[in-house]
Amino acid sequence: MVFNKYKPIFNSSFFLSIIFVAALFILIFISGVSYRYTTSLTDSSTLMVHSYKIRSELEQLVNYLKDAESGQRGYILTRDSLFLRPFLSVREKINKSFTTLKVLSKNNFQQQKNLDSLYTLINLRIAILYNTHDISNSGTFNQDRMVESQVRGEQKTTLVREQVNDMIDFELMYLKVHQGLFEHEISWSPLYTLLLLLFSLLVFIFAYFQINRDIKKLKNSNEELSIAYEAISHAEEIGEFSSWQWHLDSNEFKYSDNQYRLLGYEPRSFESSLHKFLEFVHPQDRHILLESVERIMNERVEPTTVFFRVLRKDGQLRYFKSIGKLFTDASLKKIIIGIHWDITEQHLNRISLEERNRELEQSNSELATFNHIASHDLQEPLRIIQTYISRISEKEVVNMSNTTIGYFGRIQASIERIRILINDLLLYSRTNRGERNFELVDLNNLLENAKAELVQTIEDKNAVIHADPLPQMNVIPFQIQQLFINLIGNSLKFCKAGRDPVIRITCDQLVHKNNKPDLVSTAKNYTRISIQDNGMGFDQQYAENIFILFHRLHLKNEYPGSGIGLSICKKIVKNHGGYISAQGIPEVGATFDVFLPN
Amino acid sequence: MQKGPIRVLLADDDEDDRLLFQDAFKEIKLKTKVHLVNDGVELMQYLSQAGAVKPHVLFLDLNMPRKNGMVCLDEIRNHEGLKDIAVVIYSTSASDEDIEETFVRGANVYIRKPNNFNELKKILEKVITINWQYHTSGLNKENFLLSF
Repeated sequence: MVFNKYKPIFNSSFFLSIIFVAALFILIFISGVSYRYTTSLTDSSTLMVHSYKIRSELEQLVNYLKDAESGQRGYILTRDSLFLRPFLSVREKINKSFTTLKVLSKNNFQQQKNLDSLYTLINLRIAILYNTHDISNSGTFNQDRMVESQVRGEQKTTLVREQVNDMIDFELMYLKVHQGLFEHEISWSPLYTLLLLLFSLLVFIFAYFQINRDIKKLKNSNEELSIAYEAISHAEEIGEFSSWQWHLDSNEFKYSDNQYRLLGYEPRSFESSLHKFLEFVHPQDRHILLESVERIMNERVEPTTVFFRVLRKDGQLRYFKSIGKLFTDASLKKIIIGIHWDITEQHLNRISLEERNRELEQSNSELATFNHIASHDLQEPLRIIQTYISRISEKEVVNMSNTTIGYFGRIQASIERIRILINDLLLYSRTNRGERNFELVDLNNLLENAKAELVQTIEDKNAVIHADPLPQMNVIPFQIQQLFINLIGNSLKFCKAGRDPVIRITCDQLVHKNNKPDLVSTAKNYTRISIQDNGMGFDQQYAENIFILFHRLHLKNEYPGSGIGLSICKKIVKNHGGYISAQGIPEVGATFDVFLPN
Repeated sequence: MQKGPIRVLLADDDEDDRLLFQDAFKEIKLKTKVHLVNDGVELMQYLSQAGAVKPHVLFLDLNMPRKNGMVCLDEIRNHEGLKDIAVVIYSTSASDEDIEETFVRGANVYIRKPNNFNELKKILEKVITINWQYHTSGLNKENFLLSF
């Protein structure tokens, strides 16, 4: 998760690499093109120079021949041997020229052939020159032979000239053809170069903006990172926790600043390592930490949590909670990232809370046992007293005065009250503890059981009970039965003299709207069971008080009772996550509403 | 059907209870022979005496020092020579747990000590005249708790 955040920048750098490679190829291509362009230019100029050399050499050749001819003519006219010099050196010069031409045209087969025929022609012409020279020197000068020789010579010279002209033409044509090829190549090169340059420029501009954007992004990320780092650093100090990283590949261990503080040191005051940290861990807890490291390496998915003790620099014992998880970053390097949390305060609080809870539980169970035993053991002497009184009033009644009989009656009544009180207390303590086994039961059955329990009183008081059909509900059966007994019993007890009790039990469903402060459950739907009587009722100002333990609205001798019955009702309803309320109108009747969550 | 007096044994640590129990049987018009022991240890010693005459009905209090009624009940029901004795739990309380537990452990009848002498006589008479055959053959939870 942590590493995914940086992915976009990695993508961008990949993109930049592509641009770089493309630019590299373009540059190499441009270099190639330029090289070829330059080579072509050089080749072209070399060719022109070469062609020019051949042509000038050929012209030179013709010139040598002409010089020899005109020199010979001058000699014949003047007989001055100075004129003969070109004629005498003509062969040597021509041969030299030919050698040069041969070398120049060694790659051109056609031109070599032309050169051979030219050489033959020139040789013939030189032979005629020698012949003419012989004729002019011989003592028998013959005008006709001279003329004839001159004419033949002139013819050959013309042939030589023609041959030379042909060769020059050929050379020019050759030059033209090749020059054309070069020109074709060269003419496209600047365009290519220009286009590629423009393209490279675009690529570079694009790359520049891309890099700029990445740098901006990096800068922002860096800023965010440093803010986040600062925030975490503060959070660590306030929250008394610290973080650490363990780079498994390089075995590098990094603590956050607060880690040092948690151990009682100034930040970065020693070299961090797992080994160093272990020195602070309580010797008995070191194995816990080492085992957890092992687990972190193996369990790659779930973070591992451990608890251990740490001995701080000042020797204070602290409780640490630590969570670690193995991560693999984008470059496949393994890092364990973890958090240490100093939970000493919480731990000590929890311990004292647990201690208090235990004490409470103990005192609670002591109370329950006390309640149970007291109720039970108190009943024995009472029962004995009652039994003896019953014996006395049976056997000795004839010997007793009426006053004594009356006293015995009062004693009997008092003892009966104590018994009821004890029984109710026992019942109350049982509602308090006891298993809370919820069962799905038919409330009609529980109501019938309650009525059966009260059948004697119902008959005695000539009471009528009208009950709506009740639903099936998930309740603690014996408690709800007790609830019915107590509520109906209450109505029967507080009936109005001279009016037969009529009790109406109605039931409806309601969605809870107004928040009753006493509600334990957060349920929305409730079943309301209302028990309404036509008894003596009560003043509404006592509606809350009647549910308080031992709270009574009447004198003991008017209405006997312990003042526990309705408290038990309230407790039972609370056990079910419900609520009980009472409405009373004096001399008219009372209604008890029981709200039970569905 | 019964020759000689019905032998009744009571194990109860409360002196008054023992006295009232004895008085009640004196006034019941039935031929009975009542023997009293003071607690569970004494009870078991009495029952395991060599040649002791076994009672027909044992009334067993639950709350007793040294060895309580529940332990005695277990020992009697697990003893080859004693397991046929009719055991009546005779206790002050009639809590659901006690009734349930003694029933499971094999007591025959459960009665609650009444707080009136006349009622005491009535219920003891009722227990003694019970058709024990019916009560011992098939354990019946419906009439396990006997009331007057």
